[in-house]
Amino acid sequence: MRKLRSAVLILPAAAIIFLFVVLPYVIVLVMSFRTPGAGGAPYGEGFGLKGYTQFFSEGYYAMSLPQTMLLGMVTTLACLALAYPVALHIATASRRWRAILYGIVLSPLLVGIVVRSYGWTILLGNSGVINATLIQMGLIQRPLPLMYNNFGVVLALAHVFLPFMVLPLLSALQAMDPAVAQAARSLGARRFTIFRRVTFPVSMPGVQAGCILVFVLAISSYVTPALVGGMRVKTTTLLVVDALIDQFQWPFGSAMALTLAAAAGLVVFVFARLTRMEWK
Amino acid sequence: MTEVSILSLVKSYGKAEALKGISLNIDHGEFVSLLGPSGCGKSTTLKCIAGFEEITDGKILFDNKDISRKLPEDRDIGMVFQSYALFPHMTVAQNLAFGLEMRRVPRAEIKQRVARAMDMVQLTKYADRYPKMLSGGQQQRVALGRALVIEPAILLLDEPLANLDAKLRDEMRGFIRDLQKRVGITTIYVTHDQDEAMTMSDRVVVMFNGAIAQAARPEDVYNHPATEEVAKFVGNANILELPVAAQGAEGTLLTLPGGGTLNLPGTASGQAGSLMRLMARPEQIALVDPSGAQLGGRIAKRYFSGGHIEYHVDTDCGPLLVLGPTSQTVAEGQAVGLSFDAQRLWPMQGGVGTASGVAA
Repeated sequence: MRKLRSAVLILPAAAIIFLFVVLPYVIVLVMSFRTPGAGGAPYGEGFGLKGYTQFFSEGYYAMSLPQTMLLGMVTTLACLALAYPVALHIATASRRWRAILYGIVLSPLLVGIVVRSYGWTILLGNSGVINATLIQMGLIQRPLPLMYNNFGVVLALAHVFLPFMVLPLLSALQAMDPAVAQAARSLGARRFTIFRRVTFPVSMPGVQAGCILVFVLAISSYVTPALVGGMRVKTTTLLVVDALIDQFQWPFGSAMALTLAAAAGLVVFVFARLTRMEWK
Repeated sequence: MTEVSILSLVKSYGKAEALKGISLNIDHGEFVSLLGPSGCGKSTTLKCIAGFEEITDGKILFDNKDISRKLPEDRDIGMVFQSYALFPHMTVAQNLAFGLEMRRVPRAEIKQRVARAMDMVQLTKYADRYPKMLSGGQQQRVALGRALVIEPAILLLDEPLANLDAKLRDEMRGFIRDLQKRVGITTIYVTHDQDEAMTMSDRVVVMFNGAIAQAARPEDVYNHPATEEVAKFVGNANILELPVAAQGAEGTLLTLPGGGTLNLPGTASGQAGSLMRLMARPEQIALVDPSGAQLGGRIAKRYFSGGHIEYHVDTDCGPLLVLGPTSQTVAEGQAVGLSFDAQRLWPMQGGVGTASGVAA
C-alpha cells in the first residue's frame, strides 16, 4: 500500500522525464541512424550509419570533439582555481558577510547569458575596451588577440559558470566540522598542511560535484562560444546546431549530438571513478 | 609527565571578561576536571591551554616553561573534542598516524606505535574502517587514541562524553580514567556533569562566572563546598539557617525550630545569638519517628527512583530534600521526624550573620 502510494506520487515527475527527456533521446537516437535527405528533405527513407561515419571521417568535425572536451576541462580547472579561495573565504566569514558574499557570487546569474557574453565581446574585441585602452596608453601597437580564440571562450565560460562551482564547494566546506581543523593543529599540522591533508580532501564531494556541473554546462554551451568565439572556436555543440538548423541535416546533427553526449558521459564517468571517495 | 601552571589567566572579549584572572597548579599525572555551568569559563580555559584562544593577560606554564605565546601546533598537546573531530576521509589507522607523520616519525615506527595505540583503545579490528562506519563510542576511542599516540605533554578533553548515551557514558568514564592512570599523563577534563567530574578526577575545579570557586578533591568539594553555589552545583544541597544557642570549646549548640537542638562538633565560628547556615546532603538526613525527633515535618512529595526514594519534606526550616532507602517507605502527607548527623553538617562560609541583622 505504502509502496503503491509513493509510486503514484512520483508519477507526475516520471511522466515529465519520460516526455521531455527519454522520448526526445529515443527520437534523436532513431534520427541519428536515418539516411541523409535529398532535395531539401531533412532526412531520407532508410537507416544507416552515414551520420556517424561522416562525423568521424571528416577531420573538421571529428577534431571538434577533443577540442570541446579540452575546452570544458580547462574551463572547469579555471573555475575550480578561482572558486576555491572564494568558497573558503565565504565559509569562514561571519554570518552577515556570508550573506552578502553569497549574494555577490550569485549575482551574475541574474543577468541573461546572452547579455553577459555580449559584455565580454565589448571588453575583449579588437577595438574593445581593453585593447582600445592599451593602445591609447601606448603600451601596445596592435590589438591583443583576446577573443575569437580559446582564451576568450574559456574566460567568458569561467565567468558564466563560476557560481556553479562556488556553491557546491561552499556547501562542502560548511559541512566540515571546524573542530576537525583544530584537531589537525593540535596534532602539529600547520596551515598549508591542514589545507592539503584535511580541508581539501574533506571538501572533495564539493569539488567533484562542482567540476561535473561546470564541465557538462561548458561543453554543451552554445551562446558564449558562438559570440565570444565568433565561430572561429569550433565546439561540437556549434557544429550540431549548424548541421540541424543551417544545413538541415537531421541524421548528421543527431549523430553528432549523441556522440558528444556519450563522450561527455565517458569523461564524467572516468572523473567520478578517479575521485571516488570510499569514506563517504 | 608535565606540570601545568596557570597564573592569573585573563581572557576578555572586548569588555566582557570570560576569565577573571584564574590561577591553578596541576601536578604531574594529575587528572583535573574543570566543572561548571555553561558560560562559566571552563571551555575558554581549556582553549587557552590548547592555544586556540589568545590569552589577554597572565601566563600558562608547562613544566615552568611559558607557552602562552606558542601556537597550538607547537604546544605538544593531545586534545579530544566534543564532536570527536575525526578526519572523515582517513581510516582509523590513518587518523592515528596523522600526528606522528606531522612529527616526522619514521614510517616503521609509526606503524608500530599506531598498532600499539589501536590495541590500547581496543580498535585493532577496525583499523581500516572510516569514522562514519563506527559507533559513537568507537569514534570516541579513535579520538582518544589519536590524541595519546603522539605521547603529548598533556591531554585535554572537552566534554568528550556529552554526545554519548547514558550507558556508554558510564563505560567510557571508567575506560578514560583507567587509560589515563596507565599512561600517567597530566589530564585536564572539561565537563558540566558533576557525577562525571567526581567519579573521574583526582581534583575537581568548580568554576562560576570566569573564576574558580573551589579546587579540591571530589570528596571535599561534595562534603565541604566552599560556597553555597558550589554546594548546589555538585549535588542536591539542603541549606538550614539556625540560630546559635551557645559556642563552647567542644562545639556549637544550635537550636532547631520546635525546640530540638543540634550539637555541632569542632570549632565553627559562630557567636551566640547569630545565625549559622549549614549544608546537609539529602542522604545525610534520616527519616525517623516524629515523637522526640530533632525536627518535625510532613512528606509533601515522594518519588521512587530505583536505588532510593526521594522525599520532599515540608519543615519549619523550609522544604528539605531527603533520600531514603527503598526498604523504608513513607507515604505522602504523613508526618515524619528528621534526624541529622551533626558530624556531617557543613557550616557554609559567609553564611554567618546576626539574628537581628537577618531579621531586619
